[in-house]
Amino acid sequence: MSEPIRRLDDRPRTRATFEDPAAAESVRGFEGESSIPWLGLLVVLALSVGLQARGPIVEAQERPPNDDDPFNQGRPKTKVPNGTILVKGAWSSASDALTPLPEGGSIANNKYANPYFGLTYPLPLDWLQKFEGPPPSESGRYVLAQITPTDTYKGPSRGNILITAQDMFFTPLPGANALALVQYTKDNLPADYQVEPKPPEAKIAGRSFASLAYWSPVAGLHWYLLATQIRCHTVELVLTSRDPRLLESLTQHMNNMKLPEEASPTAGTGGGAVPICSKDYARDENLIARVDPVFTEHRPNPVPVRIIIDKEGRVKHIHFLSAFPDQARAITEALKQWRFRPCLRNGQPVEVETGIMFGPAASPAR
Amino acid sequence: MRAHKLFSVCMFVAALLVAGAASPQTDPGVQAANRGTGAALPSVLADDNPGILAFFQNGQKRFQDVESVSNSPTGNNGLGPRFNSISCVSCHAQPAVGGTGAAVNPQFQFTSNGTAPNDSTPFFITANGPTREARFPFFFNPDGTANLNAPNGGVEDLFTVTGRPDAGTCRLGQPSFAIAAAANNIIFRIPTPTFGAGLIENLDDSTLLSNLAANLANNFGIAGAFNRNGNDGTITRFGWKAQNKSLHIFAGEAYNVEMGISNLLFTQERPLPGEDQFQRGFPSNCLNLAGTGYPEDNSNPAAPTQAAVLDDVSAFANFMRTLAPPAPGGVVLNGVPVSATSIANGHALFRAIGCATCHNPTVGTTQPSSTTGSLSAAPVNAYSDIELHHMGTGLADNVSQGAAGGDQFRTAPLWGLGQRIFLLHDGRARNLLKAIAAHDSPGSEADITIDNFQFNLTPSQQQDILNFLRSL
Repeated sequence: MSEPIRRLDDRPRTRATFEDPAAAESVRGFEGESSIPWLGLLVVLALSVGLQARGPIVEAQERPPNDDDPFNQGRPKTKVPNGTILVKGAWSSASDALTPLPEGGSIANNKYANPYFGLTYPLPLDWLQKFEGPPPSESGRYVLAQITPTDTYKGPSRGNILITAQDMFFTPLPGANALALVQYTKDNLPADYQVEPKPPEAKIAGRSFASLAYWSPVAGLHWYLLATQIRCHTVELVLTSRDPRLLESLTQHMNNMKLPEEASPTAGTGGGAVPICSKDYARDENLIARVDPVFTEHRPNPVPVRIIIDKEGRVKHIHFLSAFPDQARAITEALKQWRFRPCLRNGQPVEVETGIMFGPAASPAR
Repeated sequence: MRAHKLFSVCMFVAALLVAGAASPQTDPGVQAANRGTGAALPSVLADDNPGILAFFQNGQKRFQDVESVSNSPTGNNGLGPRFNSISCVSCHAQPAVGGTGAAVNPQFQFTSNGTAPNDSTPFFITANGPTREARFPFFFNPDGTANLNAPNGGVEDLFTVTGRPDAGTCRLGQPSFAIAAAANNIIFRIPTPTFGAGLIENLDDSTLLSNLAANLANNFGIAGAFNRNGNDGTITRFGWKAQNKSLHIFAGEAYNVEMGISNLLFTQERPLPGEDQFQRGFPSNCLNLAGTGYPEDNSNPAAPTQAAVLDDVSAFANFMRTLAPPAPGGVVLNGVPVSATSIANGHALFRAIGCATCHNPTVGTTQPSSTTGSLSAAPVNAYSDIELHHMGTGLADNVSQGAAGGDQFRTAPLWGLGQRIFLLHDGRARNLLKAIAAHDSPGSEADITIDNFQFNLTPSQQQDILNFLRSL
């Protein structure tokens, strides 16, 4: 494996610039195409020796490659695929492909569905997701969906809908729940915005949401933020538009959402069909056995990890929000050996979901 | 009367045509006025730390020295055996020494002016295109296809010293950029500007961390991270992926990788990645071409002045560290000055729609400086949070550097943008609108912000933002 070095007697890959036709033949020979008869080969070799002595013939300007370039003839055109991120930094991964993940939502039949959060949201007519968002951040921030009007949208005004989730186990921001996070947002709103008078709570699809409305007088843009908590994540719906009536209409349309029973600005800690979620559950009093991961490489990035502990106290699922592959392997090997005391609720063992930050802690809040 | 009416109608139509010709969303373009960019910091000009002005001037002069392989008439030896250019200023020149790539690309002349007499000009180097370096994201299979299991990403120097009279018998081939392009396995980088770099260097990590935390409550879907150096774990900040810790390392790496001059930080000759990792490095007749031993750049204990005692890399770093940040200025659009109101409005809109979450107007204040007073307790108005952000498949280059993956880039500081010609990490854009649109692609943290710019602002507001950007 190497990069291809053009040898001193290499010739540019176009026919027209060769001073010596035999040199052109020697190029095709270098490409593996054996089209030169043996006598011609002797001539080529003799000339090549002569050429070496004079130095290479090079074109003043290397031509860009194209489909007619003889260099590519007869060879499979294996290219680095466009539009694909093959070399990644710390990224999200999980120990299995079956357990739903926060970032595992998708849009099909004009509906956003997220099995992890138990959330479905029929999109407004002629609104779709143009592009998926970025991967989860090391601070536990997710972009679940980015929804905008399509080209066929005929409404009088435009806007966008951003659905995010913040893992409350890993946020460096103060606040224990969705309500506190919205309050923090309000209290720290930059001077570019003004809060608009709206009730601090809203009812969407029968569930309570913390809400915040603000606008930018300079831009003439309005934002409506609706937040609830599900499985210890603050799930936020951010509506943006120049037209407050559109925001009202989008908010009304959100009553078509389906949400889990636990969704609430101050609760939302799992239970029922999903594990209960508990912050800092992996502390000594709950652990029977613990093994530290042995990292093969020294890396300074924090690695936020969510685990699900089964009723017997074993780690049954691991979700890396942001980790390099070697970090994920080392942590997985360690977590396989952890043993928890079974978590009891009303005297019955239950599954627990919790978060552990490996490596340096996430950035502290101001 | 009829003639009067006809004249009025014609004038009205003409006015409409003129107004239409000046499209409301027009990049004002590179601003030509002299904004004083390239000068030293005020305290350096005052020589507050005696000798610091001499360091600046000496470093600025050396930044412009043309390097030779050997027998340099000015004593600047050590170029090659592989290189991208022959002086710092040849890449860092716009609008002044220490800046970005100039309008006329000096690399285009190298194969015809004796700099690289036996080489071919790579196809992506043109007379008036961006000054560039190239990298192959992946190593190659023997058949010329890319091996997607073997990430590369290192700089593939464009030129060799082959055939130069000062290069002895060293003969090397260039990488085949045509093969790389055929495999879609080539990316480019353009020079980053260095004005104000000392301010960025003198930000404490705590300032950057606090800024990150303060912006986490944004409602644009943005959440960055820092690149960190492997030695002490602290935040790195220079380069397109914030891969370099300090200006000394930035200068030392560039001197070695871009010009082939080994130095006190990078002490060996630097072959191509494949030559060094899968072959046997350079042949012996390509080593020590300057005849001075290694490293080729070193301190000069016998030099007559204190500034001259320094090695080149220290001189370059001192120069960059004491360069004043670019000053904002007025904007001219189609020959007409843009109003201050438009620029101020654009600044406010830039903040309102989400751009400032990453392109932070003032990331914080520097810590006390032992170099010079202007670097102490100074606001860093770089329009960058110095964080890495996911920029989507459209900008991804599949090159990882430190913690930065193939789709992550440092928020490019926008100070000085008004006088930059080539935009984005590879110089693919000259127009601000194109550069802005490139922020919008699958997996980008900027998607919602770009949607706000493109669809939730009026044309007049969009123009205000463009005017503001060119005022920087």
